[in-house]
Formats: sequence, structure tokens, C-alpha cells
Amino acid sequence: MMNKKTDVLVIGAGLSGMMAAARAAQSGKKVTLLTKGMGTLSLTSGCIDLWGYEVDNPKQPCGSPFAQIQKVVEQNPSHPYAKVYDVLKESLTFFQGICDKDGLTYRDNGGENWLLPTAVGTLRPTYLAPTSMAVKDLNKVKQIVVAGFDELKDFYPEVLVTNLKKSKLLRPDCELTVAHLKSGWKKLYATSLAHRLEQPEGQREVIRQLKPLIKPGAIVLFPPALGERRDIDVAGLISKGLGCPVYEVTNLPPALPGQRLQDLFLKYLKNQGVTVILSSTVTGAQVAGNRCSHVTAEGAGKTFTISAQTYILATGSFVGGGFDSKPGQIEETIFGLPINTGDGKWASGEFLSLKGHPFNRFGIDVNDRLQPVDGQSKVILENVLVTGANLAGSEFSIEKCGNGVALASGFKAGKLAGEVSR
Amino acid sequence: MTQKHDKHLILDNCIKCSICVANCPVVKVTDKYAGPKQNGPDLERFRLDEPRAVHPSIEYCSNCKTCDVVCPSGVNVSAMNCKAKGEYVALHGAPIRDQVLGRVELICKAAQIAPALVNWAANVKPFRAIGEATFGVAADMPFPRFASRTFLQQYKPKKINNPKGKVLYYPGCYVNYYTPQVGLALAEVFAHNGIEMVVDSFNCCGLPTVSNGLTEVAKGYARNNVAKLNSYIEKGYKIITTCPSCNLTLRQEYHELFDMDTVRINNETYDAFEYLLMLHEAGKLDTRLKALPQRFGYHQPCHLRSVGFGIPSLEILRLIPQLEVHNLEAGCCGLSGSYGFKKEKYPISQEIGQNVVQAIQEAGVTQNITECGMCQLQINHLSGLPIHHPIQLLAEAYGLPSYLPK
Repeated sequence: MMNKKTDVLVIGAGLSGMMAAARAAQSGKKVTLLTKGMGTLSLTSGCIDLWGYEVDNPKQPCGSPFAQIQKVVEQNPSHPYAKVYDVLKESLTFFQGICDKDGLTYRDNGGENWLLPTAVGTLRPTYLAPTSMAVKDLNKVKQIVVAGFDELKDFYPEVLVTNLKKSKLLRPDCELTVAHLKSGWKKLYATSLAHRLEQPEGQREVIRQLKPLIKPGAIVLFPPALGERRDIDVAGLISKGLGCPVYEVTNLPPALPGQRLQDLFLKYLKNQGVTVILSSTVTGAQVAGNRCSHVTAEGAGKTFTISAQTYILATGSFVGGGFDSKPGQIEETIFGLPINTGDGKWASGEFLSLKGHPFNRFGIDVNDRLQPVDGQSKVILENVLVTGANLAGSEFSIEKCGNGVALASGFKAGKLAGEVSR
Repeated sequence: MTQKHDKHLILDNCIKCSICVANCPVVKVTDKYAGPKQNGPDLERFRLDEPRAVHPSIEYCSNCKTCDVVCPSGVNVSAMNCKAKGEYVALHGAPIRDQVLGRVELICKAAQIAPALVNWAANVKPFRAIGEATFGVAADMPFPRFASRTFLQQYKPKKINNPKGKVLYYPGCYVNYYTPQVGLALAEVFAHNGIEMVVDSFNCCGLPTVSNGLTEVAKGYARNNVAKLNSYIEKGYKIITTCPSCNLTLRQEYHELFDMDTVRINNETYDAFEYLLMLHEAGKLDTRLKALPQRFGYHQPCHLRSVGFGIPSLEILRLIPQLEVHNLEAGCCGLSGSYGFKKEKYPISQEIGQNVVQAIQEAGVTQNITECGMCQLQINHLSGLPIHHPIQLLAEAYGLPSYLPK
């Protein structure tokens, strides 16, 4: 059986895995990133959330996420942020640097969360947004035109307008306008719309239909489909044609902002010399004492092994396929690491409970160096580091901390892996 | 490698996340295809009871297998689509064009009567215009040119004393009939490294027949190939391919589509560079390579990506001093075998391929390499630039005959 050797093996191509690979490569390590799917980053909104709502009032969007995170770290030492708080700001700078270099600028809102409109007209707190989504001064806008396409599923401008109208953030006299655009295609996906809008005739067609509706002081909100390629600034081009700012709102996948980010990171990693192996699943590990000596990977082709100094487990909990569950049973699929299931309760009675669901908190307990530990805080595998959604103790869907934990834990794991001597 | 048989389980693994739709190169450029999720796992649920639950847009699936690669839940979307295509053709029949284009093996054998004449006729514009009008074969897509003698006619096995390994080379139709230089360069590299290489006559791997919905024809090829490959494996041979699509088909598709047991074939079949990399990891590869101060763009074929082994050719080519290989990272080239030769799909195929053109321009490369013959054809057509198989660069760096144009 073939054995590949590398310094750092990152398993998983989500945000934390790619951050880990990027940071370890910066330390001069030979890095291999292996992933079974494309990574769920491409399914995300493309915005980076750190913390969404006040810890003491979960209905109130928070201003500075850092103030809330600090509170969390003090109150709850088992929250993943408590393990990675030391590198949080550093990891954000590192992330923004990578994106900036490739022309995908991520903007903060001066330390406060943005409140950005979603496809259903709610306002979503987020910390970093790409320029195409960072709606500035929503409270001063005189007209909001919501541009939907008749052939596009999953984006209904009336829904957006009806709900956004209820927001107290808008000027009382702010006019909301629904625009039904026609593409000439039988049906559209976000990706095919994006492709059409990259063509000059696609942009012209949109501008022609929208222009008569635009009044002074207007902005236009689009579904998140303003182009796929990063070398064509579709939002900028349409904005120029209309003479007013143009933005994408967050929506269900397929959504292009998340895909652009995924694509940017994968290309960045390859340019940094990281070996990326797609479509291969790590199915097991060989462990000697408290160290992993190699893992086994299965592609659609054959099985091979990879040995590394450090293994970074960025397999993304349930959605990414890192955890598998059966009735009453849950397992981490590669190392069989113990999963902290709290008091054993999986779900809240209420589907949309603001307390979230216990299963979202399920995960692997780690120490400050992100090594997996058992119930007595003893390190189980010293050369395995756990990142992102695999970490126990956070309710990402309520706290909106998923990206922040992924960024900081990935960065820290990559940094620690980079410090291991050969 | 384990082979999983519970189809219901794989179907249930689909969580409808749409990542396959988000990454599908066909959906992006046309509204004629309903999408991998809709044609695959969504309709497959109905097909468990009613095999005829097939959407006509299934013919627009190019079988690039991007959906399989991107799925985080291990759903074999493309196999569902391939089977659905077969079901559709079984119900409605395939046009004569598809029946011919799918039978690559027959076309190639027939052309052997007079390859030069066929090459000439294939490039006569009025003939191609008639072909488009009558049969729906895109007039603007150039056919590959038949070699005057096939690889199997040209290859003379060399006697290796105390070989480090013995392999059976499965050249596939493209190398055998169109680019024998690839097989000849491989033979040189193997002989140089003390590997004994034998050949035999095989059927087409069957991928073009599968892609055209001619499932029964493909099954016949598969049965013959599996029996013959197994007889070599029993004698201790490793199976080597240079075509990623043949490789994937032998390793995975016979099992996924026809429920054949190919565990042993999967374990014993290697892409040529995968095999060389294994020799290298074991310290058995000659790494005395001369400098090649040149720059190439590299295109990763979709079916190589889907095998899940990374890009072994890039790892080996890194050993060549002063050679600069730029990974184009542009996704599918769009041709997908016979797909891009069909009149109604030619524009789709060309549109998908624009990503590759753009990447070549950005990289500023004037020559390219890729493992897949059909990708070579498309990228040459799109860019007008020369393109080769990476094994030819390795042969060149060894100072062996590389069959590169001088």
C-alpha cells in the first residue's frame, strides 16, 4: 500500500481546515489537505460571524462581538472561544490578508457588527462582510429596490420587502420597491444567474430593466449571485450603470459569496505549495501510545496511508461528516475520539428554541493547545489537533460563533503545527 | 477499499445541501439541464419503485463527476445519473449519432482500414457541415487525428533483467489509436526504471458507451475486461493506465454501475504516475533527471480528480530541475468525451471551457500538459496551444525518446 509523507495533514476543507493549512504553510511546513467533499464553506453566506446577540439578551443583536466573546470566555471556560481567544484578532487579520491579496476585500464595521439584510428581510448581525454585501448606512437610505428574477427559485422579493419594512432601522419615509426582472432563461440557479451577469449583455439587460425604478438616494439589493469570478466586479459594474450602490443579500445555497471564498482559499493554498487531495475520505488511524503514526485514506480509487508529524482534525462535525450518529449513539469517525454529549439530551422540545439544541454543542473536548482530552483532562493524542465545528461547547446556530471559532481554532492549530520541530 | 452495496443508504445520505448544484459546470451555463441533485438523488427516490422516473434533461449531464467530488456525504450522484441515462435510452432509444459516438472502439477499428483517408475526410468542411445537418455532429469541433500505426502495432516489449516490477499497460482507445507516443514514452520510462511492461488487446473501457446511455454494450465490454485483467493480476501484474477515464472506469464504474466485484482490480490498478510515485516513495525511482528550463500549464482532468488521489504527476514532475509547471486550477474543460461533439451541446462545452482559456491567459503559458486525451483535444481547440501528456516530459528529462515534437 502506498504511503505518503507530509509534515502536517489537515483533514477537511472548511474554513478551519483551510486556515490551519494556510498558517502551517506559512511556517514552512509541508502541508497536505485532504477532503472528502468540497468543504461546507461554499454553502455558507460568505460573511464572517463572530458573535451575533447579547449573551444576556439573546433577542438583541450585539454591537461589538468582542465584548460578548470576552464575557463568554470569562463565564464559560469550556466554550471553544476560551481555548482560542488569544489568537482571535490575529487570525482575523491573517484571514483578511489572504482575501485582500486576491481582491476579495472583507470589511469590518469599525469594531461593531454589521446588520445586513437577508433574503427574507431580516437583519443579520455579522462581523466581516465582502464589499458586495456590506450595506453602508442602511438607516439613511431613501429607497431600497429589491431585484428578484422570475426564473430564480429561493428568492422572493416580496418576502424580503414585507419583512424589511417592519425594521425600525430604516427611515420612516424609506420607500421599498419590488423589481421583477426577466432573464430570458427557462429557469435559473444562483450559479447560472451569476454566470449570465458576468457577461456584458447580462448586465445591460438588468440595468435596462432596473433603471426606470431608481430614485435619488436608492440602493439595490440582489440575490447573492453577482458573478462567480473574482476578476469581474459585477456589483461594481451594475452599480456604475445604475448610478447607485448595489449589494447582495445572504440567502440559501447555492450562494456565490461562500463559493468565492472557498475558491479563493483553495487556490491560495495550492499557490502556497499545499498538496490538496479532493474526493478522498480518511477512514481510520493507526495509533501508538498517545500518538497517531498514520491514517488510512480511501478515494474512489484505492486505499493509501499518510503519515505526518501533526494531524489536524477539521472534519466539520455532523454536516461535514466528521461525526456519525445512530439512534442513541455518536462517534468521531477517524480516531474514535470521545464526544462530549453533556447530560445526554440531544434536542430541545421546541424546534426553534432560542436556547438552541444540545446536539449542536456535542463535540470533542480539548486543552488550550487544541489536543483532544478525556474526562480527566488527560491528552489522548498529542499530535492530533481539533478545530472548528468539531470542538465541544458552542451552539453556533444561536450564538453565530461558527466562523469565528473556525478561523481562530484553524489559525491556532496551524500555528502550533508549524512550531513542531522536524 | 471497501465496496458498498446498500444503495438505499447512499440515497438517504443526501441531505439536499445543493453543493452538487452549486459546483455543476453544466448548470452554470445552460438552462437545459435540471441539475445533478434533481436528476440524481431527488428522482432516484422515485426510481426505486419506478425505473421510468427519468427527466429528459438527463442527456445534458456530461458525466464529469464533479458532483461526486464535492459531496460531503458520500452520495454517488453521477452513478445515479449514468443509470438514469441508460434507463432513458432503454425507454426512448438513442439517436444514431449517439450510438456511433459511444462506440469509440468500433469507430477506431473501422478507421484502421485507412487512417490517413479518415483524417482527411474528418477535416473537410462540407463533409462536417453535412454531418452536423444530418446527424447532429458539431461541425466546429475537430476530431482527433488517427495515428498511422496504433500503439499496439508499434510497441515492442523490452527484455528487462531482474525487473523491479511487472506491469500490464492498458492504453485505452485514445492512446492506442490517436496518441501512441504517450504509450511509447511510458514504455521508455518504465524500461529505464527496470519495470517490465506487457500489453494485450482489450475492449474499450466502456465509458463513452455509458455516457451515451448504451448500458448493455458497456456491460459486455466490462465483463471481457474484468476477466482478462484478473487473469493478469493472478500472474502478479499491476495494471497501469495513462488515461484517467479508463482508470476510473476500471476501478470504480464497473462496480458502481453493474454491481461487478472489482475490489481486486481497484487495488491493483494504478495511474502511471501513481505507480511511479510509489516507486519513488520506496526509493526505487531513478531521480537523475536533466534540467528542462520550460514552463507548462497543467490541467487536472475531472476523472483524475474524482479518483481521490491528488495529482501524482505534479509530484513527480517536481523532481525535474528548472521545470515550471503551473496548475491551471480551472475545473472541467467542458468536452467530456463525445458530449462536446454533439451539435446541441457544443456551445455548452465551449462555454464551460472558457475557464481554462482564462486560466491559460492569466498564467501566460504557451504550452500545456494534461493526462486525458479528450482534455488535450479540447484545450488545444480552445487555446490553439500545443499540449502533451506529462509522461512525455518525464521521458524527455531522462534523455529518453519522448516523442515530443521538436
